[in-house]
Amino acid sequence: MGQTKQEEEYGYDLFPERNAGKYKKGSVAESLLTFNHKCQVMLQLAVETSPYAKLLLGAMKNSGCTVFKDRHFACEDCDGTVSGGFDAATSQIVLCQNNIHQQSHMNRVVTHELIHAFDHCRAHVDWFNNFRHLACSEIRAANLSGDCSFSNEVARFHFGMKQHHQECVRGRALRSILAVRKINRQAAEKIVDEVFDTCFNDHAPFGRIPHGKKDAKFAHRDYENRNRYYANL
Amino acid sequence: QTPRACSDYWSEYRHCRSLWNRFHHYYTYGTSPSCYQWKEDYYNCKACEKSTGGEAKQEALQRSERNRVAEQRKFSPVWELRRDPPSDWHLPLNHEKPQDS
Repeated sequence: MGQTKQEEEYGYDLFPERNAGKYKKGSVAESLLTFNHKCQVMLQLAVETSPYAKLLLGAMKNSGCTVFKDRHFACEDCDGTVSGGFDAATSQIVLCQNNIHQQSHMNRVVTHELIHAFDHCRAHVDWFNNFRHLACSEIRAANLSGDCSFSNEVARFHFGMKQHHQECVRGRALRSILAVRKINRQAAEKIVDEVFDTCFNDHAPFGRIPHGKKDAKFAHRDYENRNRYYANL
Repeated sequence: QTPRACSDYWSEYRHCRSLWNRFHHYYTYGTSPSCYQWKEDYYNCKACEKSTGGEAKQEALQRSERNRVAEQRKFSPVWELRRDPPSDWHLPLNHEKPQDS
């Protein structure tokens, strides 16, 4: 099956199993020869234990987009080093079973992609045609998912202190855009710059930038109490 | 009723002042976090509970919280918010459907 122009343009070539997987879904071959089962197990754990994920799932349910694991998540083999993606065409979060091997990584990818799904659910995001929308969601996802936490950056040998978080968010948003769209680096940088302030400061549904589990737990607490909160302002 | 339980204000204050949080705030914003507002809110909250002279404290507390909400909203969004969720969110997957945008 040859690559269509559209597949290349929208980054679908990174996710070769979106149209047809190598092994039939649910087959013995799939479970023995791929990391599919491990991915499913880690996904289940992420959804049940990560306060980031729990908050996002709750917020999405309240916005009318209840997430069902079997419908809205797919564990697939992907190209290169990409860890996951959000496919707006099918409303699915793709998890790259061949590139995610640790639970902490799974938690982070699930959070990152859920942020895209949350944006898709609450706003008219034009994923395919509007680069500003794409950039905004990538900035938010890099900012709020823990992608740019101090420890993750150090693990990548990116050492920086003062406001390094913002540099990291900019850089990762840029990388994500360049990976899935045909656009030159300068144009992408310009777009990221244009929307950065707004999108960096949009912390929905967390209400804060969660730097770690405690922040995420407090954010979750605030979210659970939101009715009382808004009723008493 | 107060917007949050009084113990919530205290735990936010303690968390704000912690070394861990101050480190991460500097890492994110390049500045030290300002935590005194949480402490003030806690004392106002306790005063509301006592219900003597609670009115003024209640107002001060509400003002502080409304400020927090306003801080979160002072940007102009890049996209238009939906009134309803996407219509195809719950549609079943169709594996034969060709990918079209």
